Amino acid sequence: MSFQTTPIVSGDTYEMAHRFAREVEQELAGIADPAAQAAILEKRWAQLTALGWTVTAIPEEAGGAGGDLGELAALAGGAGRAGLALPIASACGVVPALLAGQAALADVAHGAMRVAVILPGAAQDDPAGALRGGATLDGAVVGIETPPTPTHLLIVLEAPEPLMLLVPVTTPGIESASYLRIDGRMAADFRFAAIPINPSWVLARGPAVLQRAAAARDLGALLTCIECVAAMGALLEQTIQYLLNRVQFGAPLASYQALRHRVADMYVEYESLRGITARALRAAAQGEGEPWQAIAFAKLRLGEAGRAVAESAIQAHGGMGMTEELPAIRLCKRLMMADFEYGNRVFQAARLLADAA
Amino acid sequence: MDAATINYEAFREEVRDFALTRCPPEIRAVVATYRKLSRKVWYPWQRILFEHGWGAPSWPREFGGTGWDQRQRVIFDEVMAECDCPPQYHHGLRHLGPVIIEFGTPEQQARFLPGILNGEDWWCQGYSEPGAGSDLASLRTTARLEGDEYVVEGQKTWTSHAHESDWMYTLVRTSKEVKKQQGISLLLIPLNSPGITIRPIRTIDGWHHVNEVFLDQVRVPVANRIGAEGQGWTYGKFLLERERLGGANIAPHHKALERVRALVAQELKGEGRRAERELLQHRLLRAEAELLGASELGRESVEAVIEGRALGMLPAVIKLSTSVTMQTISQVALDAVGERLAPRFRRIEGEGPNAEAPGIEWVQNYMYARVRTIYGGSSEVQKNVIAKQLFGM
Ligand SMILES: Cc1cc2nc3c(=O)[nH]c(=O)nc-3n(C[C@H](O)[C@H](O)[C@H](O)COP(=O)(O)OP(=O)(O)OC[C@H]3O[C@@H](n4cnc5c(N)ncnc54)[C@H](O)[C@@H]3O)c2cc1C
Repeated sequence: MSFQTTPIVSGDTYEMAHRFAREVEQELAGIADPAAQAAILEKRWAQLTALGWTVTAIPEEAGGAGGDLGELAALAGGAGRAGLALPIASACGVVPALLAGQAALADVAHGAMRVAVILPGAAQDDPAGALRGGATLDGAVVGIETPPTPTHLLIVLEAPEPLMLLVPVTTPGIESASYLRIDGRMAADFRFAAIPINPSWVLARGPAVLQRAAAARDLGALLTCIECVAAMGALLEQTIQYLLNRVQFGAPLASYQALRHRVADMYVEYESLRGITARALRAAAQGEGEPWQAIAFAKLRLGEAGRAVAESAIQAHGGMGMTEELPAIRLCKRLMMADFEYGNRVFQAARLLADAA
Repeated sequence: MDAATINYEAFREEVRDFALTRCPPEIRAVVATYRKLSRKVWYPWQRILFEHGWGAPSWPREFGGTGWDQRQRVIFDEVMAECDCPPQYHHGLRHLGPVIIEFGTPEQQARFLPGILNGEDWWCQGYSEPGAGSDLASLRTTARLEGDEYVVEGQKTWTSHAHESDWMYTLVRTSKEVKKQQGISLLLIPLNSPGITIRPIRTIDGWHHVNEVFLDQVRVPVANRIGAEGQGWTYGKFLLERERLGGANIAPHHKALERVRALVAQELKGEGRRAERELLQHRLLRAEAELLGASELGRESVEAVIEGRALGMLPAVIKLSTSVTMQTISQVALDAVGERLAPRFRRIEGEGPNAEAPGIEWVQNYMYARVRTIYGGSSEVQKNVIAKQLFGM
């Protein structure tokens, strides 16, 4: 029998998440129209919150399931294996982490509040127009991952004073444009035009806000890595199946050494990412050493390994690798996009270098 | 004129002056921002070149060529890249024209060459099939002779430009009796023939380049067969021989490198992003070293052709190495703009709120660059060819 991956955290949650993600993937596969895809994501998001995914890591006293990091990892892994086009790391990990201890957490738990997160350093087209606070909220951010029809923006501002704000998206002066990314996830650009900061939006202020934001970003990066290990494992399995079945020159492509070695290289990349990710997960779960470092290394590795494996899979599929046809190639796009979430590899390398200096 | 009497520098100036004054700015802008080169962009420029007598730099003079020598042709290609003029890579001009010139009858030459030269007829290449990619000789689209017509039945795939072409030059199987390379013929098929269906293939970069072409009992006059029946494979080989210098033009690669270098400086400005910037700049330096090496090999290849020496493995080496270097350059660009632009990359040509976001072409470029190691002889197949020569077995 050919290769089958083993999840980082297995169990019922993993299996359930994978089943759900696979159904969504199959439902989306035949649909080209972005509006129709968005409608499916909307429907699936409602199911997913009803199933309790988003309360996994919310403490019981705040209306959650009180799950630990292992539970989150199982969710992320199961979803990642089928490239679920919904913001699991953000909604199940980052948002609850940022809102810990806040009354709003209960609204998130009920599904009444759908939150898009904007962290310091969010991308913008014009550095002079970066999002900033003070008396008013001004500037713009682009490419922000969102749940379907977000109701609120959870914004962490660095300057002039660290602030965490929870802002209704319907606030006058907020302009948004939403779209689907190439991995089928939803994202949006937001522009803010001199919006007076309503005191009721302010959840926290001061340096602790930035520490919490940094920890939340790292949690997002870790969950993204776990998701991508699973995606990469599935991609490897599917590439192997493709090469076993495709015949050229009278023999299956799997019989050609060049391709066998390429797949062996993909496997080594996969195991290497799995290793560093498992280590980062352990460090984070047990508060061992400096978890941020292990996460930064894992995310750096994801950037490199993710791209290498995606590119190899495309190459091994030949022309088919250039199409939107196959689930394998959709996983490739997921891996490519994941690099840019919660700090890409250049960002991770730069912060590791700064720490070493 | 022989090489000793041609003033190549003056020629370069003449071409540059022409490119800068005659190529419409809106066309050069399309090339400069790596937007899709469709017939709409290519045709007007081909028309301008044609009217100036430069429609077919690589054809013999009697068929409307320029009569330039190999070095002038290289200079022409270099200047075109430098000035962001659309490269003349259309299928009719670069691929089919030389085959018709070499193997077509005088009637076929009179009928097909003028439309290629002035750009009125647009051509696509129907070689690959679902079951015949790297192993092209296993193609199964058949052409059965009925009176003075062939009846063609089968499917082509990955057919670039089929949706905007008038004609497809097509490899078909005319005999199953012989060795698989020998039963293949080359037919010129009008795409408005009854029985042809063209369906777009959605590619990962969101553009519409390629198509599936279904042929259901398509009737093609025997007069549209080029050369002898069963000799189509030989013409394909001939074409590869003629085209092997195509990859020696590294000018577009250098241009892309310069652009990405500027992009990195622009995107990652300031002291705060210095480490990130330098990481990317270092990768670009390595790419530049590879390109400089490849340029030199390109120059050697041109010299070899001029002096009538064998080219050996150089064209394959240049294709292998520059295809990967171009992928590297596109990766660096993606790393520079990705956080800002990758999420906003449009799925479908020209649609969505970010279709015009400045720099968005680098995301498309990255995705599309994957194909460089797949088409035109995949890297694996090229390596098999090189290794066979290196080992002598
Ligand atoms: C964007 C695009 C445009 C194209 N335009 C055209 C066009 O206009 N006209 C046309 O006719 N075709 C066109 N092609 C088709 C292109 O030439 C084929 O994709 C190419 O020949 C590879 O064939 P394949 O896709 O069937 O891959 P396969 O042959 O199935 O190859 C899959 C993988 O296996 C590898 N492989 C195959 N055989 C071996 C071996 N013996 N040893 C080791 N590795 C091997 C390949 O290198 C590749 O990595 C285009 C393709 C693309 C993607």
